[in-house]
Amino acid sequence: MTSKNRGGLSRRHLLGGAAAATALLATPSIVRAQPKVLKVGVALPRSGYLAAAGQACYRGAEIAPKVLADYGYAVELMHVDTESNVDIARNQAERVIAEGAQCIVGAFQSGATLAIAQVCEQRQVPLCINVAAAPQITEQGYKYLVRNFQTGGQLAANGLRLIKDVMAATNVEFKNAVFTYANDTFGTSQAKAIDKHFPAANLPFKIEESIAYDPRAQDLSVEVTKIRAINPDLVMVVTRASDAIKLIRDMVRQRFEPKAIISPGSPGLYDEEFYQALGPLADYSVINVPWVNPKAKMTEAVAAAFKPAFPKRRFAVEGFNVGFTFEAMLIAADGFKRAGTADGPELMKAIRATDLAEHVMIGGPIQFDDTGQNNNIGSAVLQNRDRTPTVVLPESAATMKPVLPMPPWKGRT
Amino acid sequence: MTALWGAMNTRARILLGVLVVMLLAAPLALDRYFLSVLTLILYFVYVGQAWNLMMGYAGQLSLGHALYVGVGGYVAAALWVHYGIGPWLGVVPAIAIAAAFGAAIGWLGFRFGIEGVYFALLTIAFAEFTRIGFDHIPFVGGAGGLFIPYEQDRIGEWWNLRGGQHLFYYLAFLLAAVGVLITALLSRARLGFQWLAIREDETAARALGIDVFRAKMKAVLISSGMTAVGGVFYAFYNNSLFPTQIFNISRSIELILAPIVGGIGTVFGPVVGAFVLTPLGEVLIALTEWLGIDLPGVKAVFYGLTLMIIITLVPTGVWPWIARRLDLVKNEP
Repeated sequence: MTSKNRGGLSRRHLLGGAAAATALLATPSIVRAQPKVLKVGVALPRSGYLAAAGQACYRGAEIAPKVLADYGYAVELMHVDTESNVDIARNQAERVIAEGAQCIVGAFQSGATLAIAQVCEQRQVPLCINVAAAPQITEQGYKYLVRNFQTGGQLAANGLRLIKDVMAATNVEFKNAVFTYANDTFGTSQAKAIDKHFPAANLPFKIEESIAYDPRAQDLSVEVTKIRAINPDLVMVVTRASDAIKLIRDMVRQRFEPKAIISPGSPGLYDEEFYQALGPLADYSVINVPWVNPKAKMTEAVAAAFKPAFPKRRFAVEGFNVGFTFEAMLIAADGFKRAGTADGPELMKAIRATDLAEHVMIGGPIQFDDTGQNNNIGSAVLQNRDRTPTVVLPESAATMKPVLPMPPWKGRT
Repeated sequence: MTALWGAMNTRARILLGVLVVMLLAAPLALDRYFLSVLTLILYFVYVGQAWNLMMGYAGQLSLGHALYVGVGGYVAAALWVHYGIGPWLGVVPAIAIAAAFGAAIGWLGFRFGIEGVYFALLTIAFAEFTRIGFDHIPFVGGAGGLFIPYEQDRIGEWWNLRGGQHLFYYLAFLLAAVGVLITALLSRARLGFQWLAIREDETAARALGIDVFRAKMKAVLISSGMTAVGGVFYAFYNNSLFPTQIFNISRSIELILAPIVGGIGTVFGPVVGAFVLTPLGEVLIALTEWLGIDLPGVKAVFYGLTLMIIITLVPTGVWPWIARRLDLVKNEP
């Protein structure tokens, strides 16, 4: 550096330098204001009593960044284990937001979801609910949440409505039915929803008896004996996997063969545990629940990403939890892309205005009403075929045709 | 109270004063995450104190205290949701009904000589059948839960417990402080000494002329009533109640851990226990993340191991050990 150069430092140079420095200093803040990647806090019950479902949801979130990248979306995950505990869900939501999460996806459990919703509302951070059925969640006036999941009432109503479609597609008539359900919290609440929606479903048969059972019982032989004495064409069930196994085993033992076993809106009959325990006896049971559309291109992309990421798991069995969690990620990423910013109010506005025709779950475009509820989610009729839940209705998404009456227990291989 | 203050030396008084000032000033320095953790700690201090009175002083083991949290929460929440009766008023019937449950358990247990683990089983049984009952009461939402509406235009109505983190933090602080004061007062009162006598030897206490049944009933009534207030706080803090969660035995265990780890039968045991256990969970989460361990449930394993170590090293609780080591108390309160 020469003395001439030093002497040439004029006011103009100083002003120019200052302007350049100001521009340089301002640039990072502009870059920060428009991040290229959305940081998503994924709050799920990965341990505790809801761990099995929470882990399935986690797998849906884990594959999302890769699949979404192919669709032009960029997301980064920040995982949170709510431990199936409302207090921990709340604290961890606070923590992950403090650490930079710009959107939350979760939380599978209605109580935990509501605890997180309050945090999100106060912090103005959008919450995209993957799974949580309590209708009140979207009726409380929260502005910073959307729910891409059916309410408990919708699950039951759609589950019942589809029984009629099954009857039409198979030309099988049910003259009577018995409804049996686990007397735990989940079973009781679903049973009430089914009781409420059954008259409106206008089904051409009557429920002869509702039989509650203890899901922790050693076996369900007494309940099956009672059902057998009534000899219904249809057995409607609300179960979890462990009691569904006992129910089918006792039906086989007592050689009771109804025309159909249908679960209108509950899991149990499509869990891996159910298939492993019963083998071919698990086949031909019917489950009416929301499910991934196997014919959708995006579903194929998700399935393709799932296989190498989780080689010991079957996407075909985890379609419910994986699908809904992936879609919640999609909704957040799409909102971010359209908003062009991760600023809470702007991002939320964009998420509420979501209109996604291409997605993975069966149903219409993802859109939210004024409360943040997506009412376009459809339900599918699944039938267990070759130990895999297979979409048999609606026809637009079906990969097989429904088979009823169920083939006899004897001779199944 | 004076006796308790007198039992503390200058160092202990200064430490207590610093703790109170720090807690009061915490919202000025801490972000919302730390405040939410502190809120939970103070909540556990309060409900821990309520349980401590019954077990630590009167010697009656309850493993079903979630019953009173649930009943208190449900009563106040239902009054608010269905009749618009605010929680400051709703807390009165909440206490009364929870105390009635406590009275029923106490009467059955003490009248028919159900003691020790059998009394504990009785408390679990009550919590369990109350859960089943609430699953089937449509007035409180049944198994589907009871929800307190989150109305934007009511935010700021502190008198209806409609507010943000700061409101609930200071409320939890107030509850914890009141809990400590009640325990301190009762521990030095005639009733407190009667409880200690019963806890140590019920037959001897009876021989001394103590009305054992009455003293034990008072312990259950005070403890259940106090816990119900914690339930009201919990309901309005989380805005939702589900029978399967609120009455669950895991809740009961959760709220007795702080006094057990801190030191049962002491005034500051539940305080120290809550300040050890809740942050421990958060620290373990941060630690496993920092170590890059992404195994769900690993925190629970470490948590359990740490608890085992604490209980093995200081079986009488952390507070008596600290008090001895730091020479904080002239006469252990």
